[in-house]
Amino acid sequence: MSYLELLRLAAPEAIVVLTAFVVLTIGLVTGRREAGDTPAATAGLGALVAALGLAIAAATIVRLPGHATLFHGMLVVSPLNSLFQVIVLVLAFFTVILARGERLLPNKGEYLAMILLATVGLMLLIGSEELLMIFIGLELTGLSLYVMTAFDKASQTSAEAGLKYFLFGSMASAFTLFGLSLIYGFTGTTSLAAIGPRLAEQALPPLLFVGIVMTLIGFLFKIAAAPFHLWAPDAYQGAPVSTAGFIASGSKVASFIVLGKILLIGFGPVSGSADWHGLIAGWTPILAVLSALSILIGNLVALVQKNVRRLLAYSAVAHGGYTLLGLIAGGRAGFSATLFYTTIYAVTLVGAFGVVGFVRRENGGDDLADFAGLRARSPLLAGCMAIFLLSLAGLPPLAGFFGKFYLFSTALRAGANHGLLWLVALALFGSLISLYYYLIVLKVIFLDENAQATPAVARYDFEMRADYLPKMTLLVLAGAVLLLGIIPGTLVARILASFG
Amino acid sequence: MSPFFFWTASALMLVFGAAVIINRNPVASALSLVVSFLGLAALFMSLDAFFLGIIQVLVYAGAVMVLFLFIIMLLDLRAEERRRINFVAFAGGAAVAVIFFGQLYLVIGHLHQAKLPFAPLAPMQVDDVHRIGLLLFGSYNLPFQIIGVLILVATIGVIVLSKRELH
Repeated sequence: MSYLELLRLAAPEAIVVLTAFVVLTIGLVTGRREAGDTPAATAGLGALVAALGLAIAAATIVRLPGHATLFHGMLVVSPLNSLFQVIVLVLAFFTVILARGERLLPNKGEYLAMILLATVGLMLLIGSEELLMIFIGLELTGLSLYVMTAFDKASQTSAEAGLKYFLFGSMASAFTLFGLSLIYGFTGTTSLAAIGPRLAEQALPPLLFVGIVMTLIGFLFKIAAAPFHLWAPDAYQGAPVSTAGFIASGSKVASFIVLGKILLIGFGPVSGSADWHGLIAGWTPILAVLSALSILIGNLVALVQKNVRRLLAYSAVAHGGYTLLGLIAGGRAGFSATLFYTTIYAVTLVGAFGVVGFVRRENGGDDLADFAGLRARSPLLAGCMAIFLLSLAGLPPLAGFFGKFYLFSTALRAGANHGLLWLVALALFGSLISLYYYLIVLKVIFLDENAQATPAVARYDFEMRADYLPKMTLLVLAGAVLLLGIIPGTLVARILASFG
Repeated sequence: MSPFFFWTASALMLVFGAAVIINRNPVASALSLVVSFLGLAALFMSLDAFFLGIIQVLVYAGAVMVLFLFIIMLLDLRAEERRRINFVAFAGGAAVAVIFFGQLYLVIGHLHQAKLPFAPLAPMQVDDVHRIGLLLFGSYNLPFQIIGVLILVATIGVIVLSKRELH
């Protein structure tokens, strides 16, 4: 190891950190107005620099060597890690653009810097196969997201959401750290690649299972699986819209990939089985129960929501449950199905939150009633929202359909005698319920009359010329969801090829 | 490590750790945390990790907690003391904690290793400051630097969230 080697392999992360410094400096030197709003120059220039930095980092990742490992897995360069680091950078890029269209937050420079630093945490989570580094990545991401959630200081719900997210998050982190210390105590190593063989060679004491379960808690919190989901509705509803989008997309993608690596590489020997007739103790039955719980709670509670962001939060809990199916199925096929689904889900949710952001800025709220007659006010936004929601519901030919098909069929094929049929049947039932509440939102958008007076109708699409860029972004996202549904093979092939 | 020393230091940590939560007066809570940290430092020292023990006293018990006390004293102390305890929430939390610790106790009780006496640690006569330094700038260089970024995030966050906006 030399410092030069370290700098070369960690260059993408270093570039994003440096970009965050530049954005902070821009916010500092361009001055502040007395009114508390961020000057337009800061917001514009800062967003431009941030987007540029993310693009350069992505380009650097592409130029990294194919395979490299530093410090027993603290930093691993592999096609899989690089692919998902680029995906996270792209999601951060969209978040920066959508943050631009947001109601002017004070301290926009600091907000953009927080997005970038959270992205660094996500990149480290993806690029590391060592417990200590994973924990630090988890904390870096978490801390940035807590601050971003509470960023809207004019709103009381934002502060409440930030506090709840922080309290739940730090509690989950404490459990994870305790669990990691137990695993380290038993195996004497923190490297995932070395933990697997050590677990395979010795009889497993129950305390190790306690360690594994406690480790899982932190990650299940991040993906908002059922008993650990209580923060999600408040955070999705109270946080600034772009933050909510980022929590639902980037943070989730990174959490699923690191959870998959810990389970399949590190804890592979103690997986057990969740088959209906052949239950074997291990982490698989635990995940199966939590997945079933998430699907049920998420979908049923979403039915009665009156706020679109809360509805998306509960549907996120359910989608977390579906995505766990791939990890329960295990193996390369299961992991790639999980990764494909979570990527598609992330792209869709960034878009959906983008639309919510526009509606919120015009109507001052994001309840269902605020979406009434959106079709008349802005056919573009209404069309995009329809694509996103129908993809979430899993209708062909959208990406969500293929994602679910791939996920469920992999899970069905995984166990002997279709042992996971019970869970897949439950997931299908959940999807059926979810179709109902997504269609309710679409009914409000397309069929309900706008409660406000008609002058608002003309206003929408024409006055928002200034938001040309965020709108184009939404179109691009909707196009991506459509395209990934028609030719899903491109991304699936990439993911499968990156396993090498 | 002598068992007497271990049990004394652990008891000190646990009792004062509980006192942090039980005390209604924030200043008393913070001072209890200082004593709990001292117990932790004593445990480190008994494991021959003198440097870690001293740092624990200097940085955590000393600098961090004193700063913490200053901040607490700037706040309205009476508000927390007046706050009434939500007994339903308290009972729920206590029940979860009791179940969790009961389970841990059962698991550890069945553990073979837990019934063996502690193996004495090999006497380590090493210059631990030197070793920690080498590790931090060698194989743990990356986490060390990332923690720097982490602290930066915390700093920015605290300033942004606590700053009074001009209106």
